[in-house]
Amino acid sequence: MKNILSIAMIAILMAACGQHLTVPTDVTMENRLPHIYPDYTEVTVPANICPMNFIVQEGETDAMARLTYPGGEYIYGDGQKVLIDEAQWQEMLDSAKGQEIKVEVFAKINGQWKGYQPFNIYVAEDSIDEYISYRAIQPSYVAYERLSIVQRNLTTFDAHDIYNNMSVSNEKVGQCINCHSYKNFKTDNMLFHMRQGYGGTMLVTNGQLKKIDLKTAETLSAGVYPAWHPTHNLIAFSTNKTGQSFHTKDLNKIEVQDTESDLILYDVDKNEVSIISELEDELEVFPTWSPDGKKLYFCSAHFEYYNDSIEKSAEMIQRYQEVKYSLYSIDFNPDTKEFSNVQMVYDAASDSINQSVTLPRVSPDGRYLLFAQAEFGCFHVWHADADIYMMDLQTKEVQKLDAVNSNRSESYPTWSSNGRWIMVDSRRDDGNYTRPYIAYFDKQGKAHKPFLLPQQDPNFYTFYLRSFNRPEFMIEPVTISPREFAAKAKEDAIPAKYADR
Amino acid sequence: MRKYLKYIYIFVFITVAYLLLPVMNADYLYTIQDNNVFINGHTFMMETVQYEGGWLTWVARYLTQFFYYPWLGSTILILFWVAIYWMTIWMFDIKGKWSFLALILPMLLLYHLLDYGYWIYYAKIPGIPFRLTLTTIFCLLFTWGVLLLTRRFNFSWKVKGLIACSLLMLILVIGNWLWPTSLWRYNDRFRHSILTTLTDKNFKHELRMYRALDEFRFEDVVKEMPQEGEEAPTNLMVLYKNIALMHTGQMDKMFETGNCGIKPEVSDSLHIRISLLGAPLIYYMFGQINYSYRWAMENSVQYGLSFRSLKMMIRTALFNQEFEVAAKYIAMLKSSTFHRQWALEHEAWMMNSTNFYQSQDYLTIAPLLENEENRLDGDDGLCEQFLLEYFSDLSHANTPLMEDVTLCMSLWAKDYYAFCVHFYDYVHSNPNRPIPPLYQEGAILLGNAEESPITLDGFRFDDLVANKYNSFVQDYNQLQQQGVDEQEMGRRLKPLYGNTYWWYYYFYNDFNIY
Repeated sequence: MKNILSIAMIAILMAACGQHLTVPTDVTMENRLPHIYPDYTEVTVPANICPMNFIVQEGETDAMARLTYPGGEYIYGDGQKVLIDEAQWQEMLDSAKGQEIKVEVFAKINGQWKGYQPFNIYVAEDSIDEYISYRAIQPSYVAYERLSIVQRNLTTFDAHDIYNNMSVSNEKVGQCINCHSYKNFKTDNMLFHMRQGYGGTMLVTNGQLKKIDLKTAETLSAGVYPAWHPTHNLIAFSTNKTGQSFHTKDLNKIEVQDTESDLILYDVDKNEVSIISELEDELEVFPTWSPDGKKLYFCSAHFEYYNDSIEKSAEMIQRYQEVKYSLYSIDFNPDTKEFSNVQMVYDAASDSINQSVTLPRVSPDGRYLLFAQAEFGCFHVWHADADIYMMDLQTKEVQKLDAVNSNRSESYPTWSSNGRWIMVDSRRDDGNYTRPYIAYFDKQGKAHKPFLLPQQDPNFYTFYLRSFNRPEFMIEPVTISPREFAAKAKEDAIPAKYADR
Repeated sequence: MRKYLKYIYIFVFITVAYLLLPVMNADYLYTIQDNNVFINGHTFMMETVQYEGGWLTWVARYLTQFFYYPWLGSTILILFWVAIYWMTIWMFDIKGKWSFLALILPMLLLYHLLDYGYWIYYAKIPGIPFRLTLTTIFCLLFTWGVLLLTRRFNFSWKVKGLIACSLLMLILVIGNWLWPTSLWRYNDRFRHSILTTLTDKNFKHELRMYRALDEFRFEDVVKEMPQEGEEAPTNLMVLYKNIALMHTGQMDKMFETGNCGIKPEVSDSLHIRISLLGAPLIYYMFGQINYSYRWAMENSVQYGLSFRSLKMMIRTALFNQEFEVAAKYIAMLKSSTFHRQWALEHEAWMMNSTNFYQSQDYLTIAPLLENEENRLDGDDGLCEQFLLEYFSDLSHANTPLMEDVTLCMSLWAKDYYAFCVHFYDYVHSNPNRPIPPLYQEGAILLGNAEESPITLDGFRFDDLVANKYNSFVQDYNQLQQQGVDEQEMGRRLKPLYGNTYWWYYYFYNDFNIY
């Protein structure tokens, strides 16, 4: 009996071992790279990123990949998918830091194995912030409701809601959630804004959650695009009167336009709002601080309404292609909270450039400034011609980041806390859904080919009908639960006071 | 006899349920299914179950897809209700004539399903038919388990009943606390819409017309219009009917076939909007591809993704040649159980453009695309108004179909300046084509109006039309001299002139856009 059991056990073990993958010997080589999704060929990845699972798109076939690293090799294959074991991947990253992992892909087509040109995944010495957060939203127009702010651990595949809008919505009451923002990549000081329904700004200061109403009689709106001051309890916001209109044929489909916009400063400790800039004929928006907190960058478009017979919004729709934003800065004294000396940083709207700049972000070392640029307007996520550009703040030289861009929309550029990684929102996959692409930015100031945020199931993006809107790096997770946010959302907002500057 | 009563009760209930569901309300159930979505696969499952009550939603969505065949979905649902009936009988040890009490829950669930009416478009939580049923079964199973555990105490049926009722109440309270967002909130009230579901003929017409239009069965769309003397059609029905006429070359028959729509009267505070009820398909049928996509997306965001929206997003992406995003939606739909074949057919269009150019979709819609130039605009959620204004304002109509559309839409909108422009264009570009009676009616009316923007010199109208107009004017003046009020005048003139543009122009003043 014992012998029978032993034989059975050995048979089971052998069967299990039989599933161990080996690279086929009879292979016809193709003189090209394999078609894989996401495209991880020749990308540079952080030393702590989660496994780069991918799917082989060489027809509906069996496929496998051999990953060779300085310490050895592993082979993976699961139908068309290449799903990498997390522990083995970490072993590969540790071993290949500063070097590369070679990937050879094989696909069985009509019973015959084919091999493709190998490619490398370069492993940087630098790690990446452990978390990102993004607004998960369908690429919608005016409707809102089914949206949430999600935090994703980049070293694993864990993703959780920070706040889910459906937790406080019903058939009668709904609200939209807007930009989320963190102070110095940490989450003990953070915010996101909600409008309509249970509207208000959900503000976390030193771990304490409050709901504030930033709209005052003297300001255009509540705070919209936020920027936390890096050293003081201050937040710069834009205030916007925003409208949307829709193309009947253009594949950009939608224009989001500000008929008016200004900049305000919110003093968290005093719960006071004051005006930074509200120039007539200027549409100021997208504030962002320099790392030392002594300069506020922002975008502004000069736009004069000259048709009194129609509403501003109607005129804006008629002249939407004339709205072009340039990049400015204004000096700030954090101690006196005084602004002074507005300067043109990049005259994108000038005749010679004739473009529109949005969403500036300064690198943590203060040397570089990223922004999104397109032909006109402020909402480049819907502009297929939008690309990421970078200004060297020392030389004032502006360059298009060709390695990062595609022939579709790129927007929302942002830096990791160590300045070695750039994340952008890109619609390169299908033109409609934004996905977070992460690119290595080396010490020489060169951006490398970006990679799509890896998912456990490489088919994830095919079946996921939401955009990753406004992705932001975080060095720690948000610990306030979605339920706490929801409970606070239902409370009345504390009105902010207005202070004359 | 008494011991068979419980079988008789359930037999009667099953019969009534079948009559009320697949026999009388198959289109209602099909539409509920169409407004639902279930995609086989890990991403969809994880996306669904991550929320409170997510597993319940996932199962309810899975089961709801079986209403693609209303009898099949109904059978599954009725089986659940039969199970609830027997569980209640066993739990409370109900005997004989009192067995009907065990039907209370299944009857409430049946009522609840039929109580949605127009709410089937607005309900934000998916899986309508099965959510509450599954919740009820879960509660009963839990209560039953507790009763089994306490069996050794040999309680009387009164004590058992008290325990069961207390537990059910407790579950409701705890459930409300545990799953506040999704389990109870949207299902815990009656919507007072059962009369809409059961007796509102227009509601049923709209459901059938949508499906017929979606499947290009234009004749069936027109057949759904009520006959003379029946209840007035809704604006949505008029829109659907006119689309069907447009695509069968009969748009100039729009006033002969009833063009005076009303806004549906609903029994509660529901704000009915055509944009939600059918805008993606309506825009698509008018060749407004971007706006069709837009409303499919808007409705998905507001009320959840549906098979209906997914299909419209595929069609519009194919027209816009956005093949990558089309492939994405097709991949999703291919992973469904009952819509897979539809997805495969449309995938073939994507793979081979010849298939697409030979498709009924392309052949039907393409003539409306040819002279469209991009415009930045908006509809403020009022699809009908946008279409009327858009086509009335269109400066050039260079296909026969567009000529008809621009003329008819300007008449429909009573925009006589636009009509005049289109009328002159029409006459000049079709010198040898007889002018259809409707356009003659419009031209005669406007040509005879005070401060007329149109001159009739050089036009020759059919005697029949001209004489009928003279007769209409004579009758109108006669009634006016008699002091008959406008409403009564319209009623009296309707039998003679109700199918003319003149009657529409003068007496249809209740154009309630919604």
